[in-house]
Amino acid sequence: MTWKRVCKVTDVPENTVKKFTVDKVTLLIANYGGGFRAIPPLCPHMQEPLEESGVIANCALTCTKHLWSWDLSSLDMLGETERPLQSYEVKLENGDILALIDKELVYEFEDEDDIKDDDFFSKA
Amino acid sequence: MPAKNHKQWLADPPLQPGEWVDSRVYSDPRIFEDELKNIFRRTWIPVCHESELPNLYDFRTTSIAREPIIVCRGPDNEVRAFLNVCAHRGMIIERRPSGSFLDGQPSGNPKRMTCMFHAWQYDLKGNCVYISREKEGYQDRLCKENVGLRRLRCEVKFGGFVWVSLNDNPIPLEEWCGKPFECLRKSLEAEPLEVFHYHKAIIPTNYKLWHDTNSEFYHDFMHYHNRVTGFNDAYFGRKNESFEHGHVVVGTFEVNYDKYEGFESRAALSFPYLPPNQWYMIDLFPGMNFNLRGSALRCDVVTPLAPDKVMIEFRGLGLKRDTEEERQTRVNHHNSIWGPFGRNLHEDLLGVTGQGATMLPGSEPRRILHGRRENQTIHDENGMRHYYSEWGKWMNRLPRDPAQPYLAPAAADAAE
Repeated sequence: MTWKRVCKVTDVPENTVKKFTVDKVTLLIANYGGGFRAIPPLCPHMQEPLEESGVIANCALTCTKHLWSWDLSSLDMLGETERPLQSYEVKLENGDILALIDKELVYEFEDEDDIKDDDFFSKA
Repeated sequence: MPAKNHKQWLADPPLQPGEWVDSRVYSDPRIFEDELKNIFRRTWIPVCHESELPNLYDFRTTSIAREPIIVCRGPDNEVRAFLNVCAHRGMIIERRPSGSFLDGQPSGNPKRMTCMFHAWQYDLKGNCVYISREKEGYQDRLCKENVGLRRLRCEVKFGGFVWVSLNDNPIPLEEWCGKPFECLRKSLEAEPLEVFHYHKAIIPTNYKLWHDTNSEFYHDFMHYHNRVTGFNDAYFGRKNESFEHGHVVVGTFEVNYDKYEGFESRAALSFPYLPPNQWYMIDLFPGMNFNLRGSALRCDVVTPLAPDKVMIEFRGLGLKRDTEEERQTRVNHHNSIWGPFGRNLHEDLLGVTGQGATMLPGSEPRRILHGRRENQTIHDENGMRHYYSEWGKWMNRLPRDPAQPYLAPAAADAAE
């Protein structure tokens, strides 16, 4: 468990997300006005890169592809969001943003099973 | 979730009847012919706007259900519509898309419509006023009084649009669509409007697919900018309200144009009586759309050309009294959403062109789902269900199985 320096506070303007890589771990820093969050780079819904699809307004991070959304101050899920947002702990020191990176946080994305041709085409 | 084999793919979805249609309603040439006969020849079509005929003797030509039509402003300032067909040998009388009869034509005279073929002439009230060598050819067996243009029902209404019907006895226009226009009537009729934008597009798709797109906002997911800046609770709260005769109105809400990237508030140039930045939309059966976004009005009119081909005419309107600067701002507001480089129009056309590509005449019939229910708000597909319920009545066909006759309203309404 180590605190790692990610960027300067001034690197991420209010209501934006920016991508950084620290010791081979890629993460996003989100500035929601009331503070910062360090989160994995993909939307837990459909693996959309949140640095492109994510919009922050009124403390909420919304993926504009299908509107999953989280309150960044509480990390509560908003609307029809079905998975929580994972996050690294952050702290500010001397104008830097530090994240507590133990291991890389990743979401599991499942694949559907396949069916053999003859079984599939004979189904009623 | 799993992929479907052929038999499964063709099965009915687990929805109520009325919540899907058979794709043949979009692709079958026989159904298309019935639509021209049963619907387009019997209803009212807004063929143009009075500002496109500003002067006495101005005219425009168009067509409804393959019938050529001429609309002109007579010497008494009345706008009239006629079949653009000579009573003699069926020649088209006027070929130009628009112009003026004030000047004489090569084989005719000023202030007359002249058939160039044998120089028969008509006045702007449709009377035949000249038959070349009448006595020599017809003696007294046929004279001018026996022939004339076919005059059509024509009214200037709801903000100066010119409504024409091929039906001599249609449902009165006020009764036909007065109620859906009620929400915008004061705004459109407070003072004269003027067309500042016109273009037409011939799109390889069925005309109803264009109207479907105008009747649901669920395709927001295709509009990148709508997703990014458009969605909010007020937006989702907008209701699709159904009216008699298949019409739908999408209720208004206040758009935060200043939150759109590169946009500005439209409050300063709102149409009369319209609260600032409001957005109303009227979808008329069988395929006209009136879309007022604060400062600019858009009107789409469809002319079905084939099952898989439609001409859409797009008009943009402002107030006739606009200063040059005001007009330019309205044009900018119009084009920023609906112009070729605007936010929405080209994406909407992409959607229906893609549907058209999968529903060619002869394509295997499949189910097209209209089953979203969301308390009749804008991602609900109730507007489309309302439309197809009306379509079934006019066509005497069941939209989900068009080989079957339309069911009594009670049965269809049960599905609603």
